Parts: sequence; C-alpha cells; structure tokens
Amino acid sequence: MFVEVAAPPRPMDKAIKAARPSLPRAIRRAAPPYLYLAPALILLGIWVYRPLAQTAQLSFYSWNLLPTTPMEPVGLDNYRRMMDSPELGDALWRTLEVILGLLPFSIVIPVVVGLLTRRLGGRSRAVYQALVFSPMLVAPVAGAAVWGWLLDPRGGVVDRATGTSVNWLQESGYAQVAIIMITGWHVLGFAVLVVAAALSGINGDYADAAALDGASRGQITRWITLPLLSPTLVFLTLMTVLLSAQWTFPLIDSLTQGGPADSTTNVYYLLWDYGFRSYDAGMGAAAGMLLFVGFGLVAAALVWLSERLAFHDN
Amino acid sequence: MSRLGIEGVTKSFGRTVAVDGVSLDVGHGEFLVLLGPSGCGKSTLLRMIAGLTPLSAGRIRLDDTDITHTPPRDRDLAMVFQSYALYPHLSVARNIGFPLRARRRTRPEIRGRVAEVAEVLDLGELLERRPRELSGGQRQRVALGRALVRDPGAFLMDEPLSNLDAKLRSSTRAELTGLHRRLGSTFVYVTHDQVEAMTMATRIALLNAGRLEQVGTPAEVYDEPASVFVAGFLGSPPMNLMDARIVSRNGELRAVAQDIDVPLGIAGELPPRDVVLGVRPEHLAPAATPMLRAQVRMVENLGSDEVAHCTVGSAAVSLRGPRPLGMSTGDALGLGVAPHHIHLFDRAGGRRLTWSPDPASEPFAASPEPNSPYKPAHTLR
Ligand SMILES: Nc1ncnc2c1ncn2[C@@H]1O[C@H](COP(=O)(O)OP(=O)(O)OP(=O)(O)O)[C@@H](O)[C@H]1O
Ligand SMILES: [Mg+2]
Repeated sequence: MFVEVAAPPRPMDKAIKAARPSLPRAIRRAAPPYLYLAPALILLGIWVYRPLAQTAQLSFYSWNLLPTTPMEPVGLDNYRRMMDSPELGDALWRTLEVILGLLPFSIVIPVVVGLLTRRLGGRSRAVYQALVFSPMLVAPVAGAAVWGWLLDPRGGVVDRATGTSVNWLQESGYAQVAIIMITGWHVLGFAVLVVAAALSGINGDYADAAALDGASRGQITRWITLPLLSPTLVFLTLMTVLLSAQWTFPLIDSLTQGGPADSTTNVYYLLWDYGFRSYDAGMGAAAGMLLFVGFGLVAAALVWLSERLAFHDN
Repeated sequence: MSRLGIEGVTKSFGRTVAVDGVSLDVGHGEFLVLLGPSGCGKSTLLRMIAGLTPLSAGRIRLDDTDITHTPPRDRDLAMVFQSYALYPHLSVARNIGFPLRARRRTRPEIRGRVAEVAEVLDLGELLERRPRELSGGQRQRVALGRALVRDPGAFLMDEPLSNLDAKLRSSTRAELTGLHRRLGSTFVYVTHDQVEAMTMATRIALLNAGRLEQVGTPAEVYDEPASVFVAGFLGSPPMNLMDARIVSRNGELRAVAQDIDVPLGIAGELPPRDVVLGVRPEHLAPAATPMLRAQVRMVENLGSDEVAHCTVGSAAVSLRGPRPLGMSTGDALGLGVAPHHIHLFDRAGGRRLTWSPDPASEPFAASPEPNSPYKPAHTLR
C-alpha cells in the first residue's frame, strides 16, 4: 500500500505562548528611557510650560507689572481690546512683509549659491561658505550698530556708494526695507550652510543616473535635486515664518524702535511694546497667546507638509 | 552604436589603482561580461565607459570617434547601477519612464512603453509605489526596467541580478539573453557570479586587481584558463592547483611532487622546472594506476553531484562526480586524470604554459598577458 509522507507538524489549534516577563522585570526594563528623559522634561515644565500657563492666566487680567498693584480679572476684555485696535492688523501685515522679504535670503539665494558652489573643489568651497557664514557670528546688536553707522544719512557709506540721500532708518518705506536687508544679511550664511549640507547629503548616483538617462543639467536640477531638497526648503521656510519676527527684534529695537510712525512694528515688537513700554501686562499676555496659537497652527501645517515630502532615501 | 574601443584605460584614486591599463574591444551586438572578485575594478571600469568617472589615462572610442570627454548624456548608453539609484521621490512608473520623459516623448507613448517593460519584469502591480516601499529584488527589477525602457546604443549593467532569488534570477537571465538576441544591442555586464557569466556572455573579460587576466569566450576561459587566477576563479569548486615539478623520465614528461606523479602525455627531454599543476574537480576519478594519492577529508552533497574534499601531499584537492561517489571520510584513494585535462602554469608568473611541439621554437611558452606585448618568457628548455 501507499503511505503518504506527512508534512512537518504545525500546531494550529494550540496557540503557542512565549513566557512573559514578570511585572517588576517589565517595569525595570521599560523605565530607563523615562528616567533619562525626566530631567529635561522637568526643566521644560518649569521654564516653558509653567510660564505659558501663567501667561494664559495673565491674559485674563489687567495689571501694570508693579508688584504693589493688584491684578484685576477682566475676562476677555484684553482680547476684545486687541481685536478692536487697528495696531494688531497693521503689525500682522508688516510681519507678513518681513517674512516674504526674508524668504529670498533664506531660500532663493542659498539654493542658487548651493547649486553653484557644488561644483567648486573642496577647499575653495569651504572658504566660500565660511565667508558667507561669518555674518551669523556677529552679535545682532553689534551688527545693528555698524549698520546704523553705514546707513547714516549724513555721510553713511551706503548713501555715498549709491549716490542718494535717503534717510534709511527714519523714512517710513525705507526703514522696513533696511530692517529686512540687514536681517537677511544675518541669516543668509546659516541658510547657505543648511542647504549645502542637504545638497551634499543627496546621493550623487541620482544625478549620474539621470545624466545617463538623458536629462540635461537643468532637468536634473528641476526633476531630481530640487525635489530631493524640498524637505530642507520646507524646514527653512518654517524657520523663516516662525523666527523672522524674532530675528528682526534686536535690529528694530536698536535701530528704529518700531518707528518711524510704527512702520517697522511687527507682532513681536508690538507684544513687547504692550508689555514693557505701555506696562499693560494683560494685553501683552493676550497678544502672546494669540501669537502662540497662530504660529502653532502654521508650524503644524508646515511640519505636516515636510513629513509628506520626506523621502526615506536608502 | 557599433564598436566600443577601450584603450589602455587606467583609473587611480589617490594611491589605489582601481583599473590598470585595460584594453578591450567590444564588438557590435556583443554580450561582454566583466567578471572578477569584489574590489577588482569592475564598477569603476563600467562608470568610465558611461562617462561618470573621468579617466586617469587611456581613451575610449565609439567606432572611430574619441568619446573620452563626451558627457554621459550624449553617449546614448543605459546603465543599471549597482546601488540601483532609483529616484526616491518618483513612483515606479515614473522611475521607469524617466529616460523617455527626459527625451520629451509624449505621455501616451511613455505610458505604453512603461506598461510593456513592467509586464516583462513582472512589476505591473507595483507601478504606483515609491522605491522605499519595494523589496531589494523589486528595486533591482525597476532599475533594470529603467534601462530597458528605451533602445540605447549599449547597455551597461552593474550586477543587475545580484539581489534576485534563484528562480527569478534564472528567468530574468533568460529574459536578458532573449532581449540581447532580439535587439542585437551591445551589452557590457558586470557580475561576480560565474554562472551568469558562463550562460550569458559571448565573451568574458576577467579582471584581477584592476588588470585584465584573460578575455575569451566562456568555453575558452573555462577550458584554457590563461592564468592561475582565472583557473582558481572559475568552476565550483574551482580548479585544483598543486605545486609540482616537471621532470623527464624515460623520454616522457611528468609532473611530480609528494603523492603526485602525473604523466603529461608528452614525449621530450627537458631540464626540471617548477610549475603549478591544475586539474578540474570533475576531471579527477579513481584510477587503476594512481597518479595522485589522496586522503578524503569530507564529502559534500550538492544534490545531483557530490564533492569529495581531499588532501594530496600538502595540497587541498577536490573531486566532483555524480552522486553517489561511493567515498567516505578517511578513505585513501588513487586518482587519475587524462592528459588532455591537465593544465600547467608557470610557478612564478602564474601564466598558462602551452606545449609547442616544434623543437625549433620555444617548447613551452607562457601565454601572453592580454595587455602586454607578447613576451616569450617562462619557457621550458
Ligand atoms: N571613489 C573612490 N575613491 C577611492 N577608491 C575607490 C573609489 N571607488 C572605488 N575605489 C576603489 O577601487 C577599487 C575598485 O572598486 P570597484 O567599485 O570598481 O570594485 P568592483 O569590482 O565593482 O567590486 P564589487 O564587486 O564589490 O562591486 C576598490 O579597491 C575600491 O576601494
Ligand atoms: Mg561594483
């Protein structure tokens, strides 16, 4: 008779259970990461989230920052007042101007410089990038002082070089332009460095393959390099959107103090102005909360976008 | 494209010489396989042909035009990269269609071609995926598809099948061979898999440490390896190589050493000479008059065949034959080999020695190295 060869046994019905570690052991194994994280979390709580909560609380009070004056609860009054004042809208508009004005410095020029310097040899590229980066190392206030002197209407180098007599920092239209240019000069090196690092992280095989596939240099840049660079560009956009108001702050404070006629007052400067020049802590806190929520939403959108764009390249 | 001429091509990276004076002629419609161990310069040579790596010396010609300095995009070559180099942000379909897009073909045409290629490579279901969502073998097939989507002057392929499983590999191998026959286009194909080399190539170029060891048809390189390196590289297990000494005894030449006494089947008188004696494992068999006295160390079962690993004197020798061989560990055997299956190599230079019966000329001449002018060194006298 024929006997069939049996398949190797496969215990289907009785589910095979691996031994589970005892509870104390499981805790001991799971705990270390949290323990390592704890100091940082505690510090974050003390220095970031507690002040944030206090700011939120403060935004419902009226207070002039004097320890002797009591805080008065005013409900949503601070928010209502802020919405009603035209200053906020103007400041937001100017913030948008600053952001748009800085994008060429944080995106366009760095990409162009990065693509051009990629073809330089190792040493000369390093020197070039060091030169571009160095303004970042100048303290903003020191830079502002020098620029204030360069932009002086009486004998400043800029006016002499351009043959004009513009009073850069005292005329409404020009002051904003000057602030944007100086900030751009400041952050350009950083952005160039970020873009150069991202470019050197792109595997050269892609460009090689594309060249063999018949793509021209322009097509390689458009179809391969820029798409692969896009997560970095989103990151730089995020930095510009979230931080441009902060980058400009030291310059505004030391060069124009928000003037002339508020023409350089952006939201951060306005917030500072409420709190520390008008001594209206409640208004300042309310503006701070609005900014926090607004920029938080913008950041979330950009982070979502950069996640979408990230190609895990392997 | 017709003929590809590689002339004295050299590439050094700092102090390492990756490719050292390689000259090769690849005829129209030829399937040339570059074979060699890891790090011998195969990829570098291929990249130089593609124009991606500049040459340190030498030149590359296409028919009669010097293309040494022609940029890659003007060379009309399609390449499969060892690293695949799939564009990570594009779907499989757009990866495969990229060469056509760069050539500004119409969308329907691109879609049609991509579908055809995907059909051949069994990628139909994966067309909308990104490369990171594919397995290694699937990525490799996409890379192959990107090369096959157009009809270039020549295909350059750098180990395009290394990550496929055995079945897929043999079917893709057949697919490529069929394609080569259909299109009649030129292939330069890098591999370190000798089965691929033997089955697909019209000619094999063997590289060792950047130098060409031998160029020939699969049969030539297998049956008449030009050097010890080639002999020890091809075959599984590779050729047995034993140090021996050629002596004349009773008017006949013999290779002798401890436990070795092999008649070469050549009548002649020569002063003794040190050589390397080579015999393929499948050409050894137990014999009535033993030439090699072997001790079996281990027997390996390959399914259809068995390999007996033995020691002869101080050398390790393997013997391959259909299963069952009827040998077991510890057996003492007397092995024999037919004279026409004996290979001799110069001990010092490692080049093959051939017998030339005309006594007026050199009796034993070392075969010339592919790139060196013929040097009648190493002669037996
Ligand atoms: N860019 C480089 N810089 C320095 N050395 C290199 C470079 N590329 C290759 N080499 C060296 O050149 C030699 C040949 O490399 P190549 O990549 O051509 O080997 P291969 O034959 O393709 O090997 P494998 O089969 O492992 O792919 C190696 O020793 C390698 O280390
Ligand atoms: Mg390689």
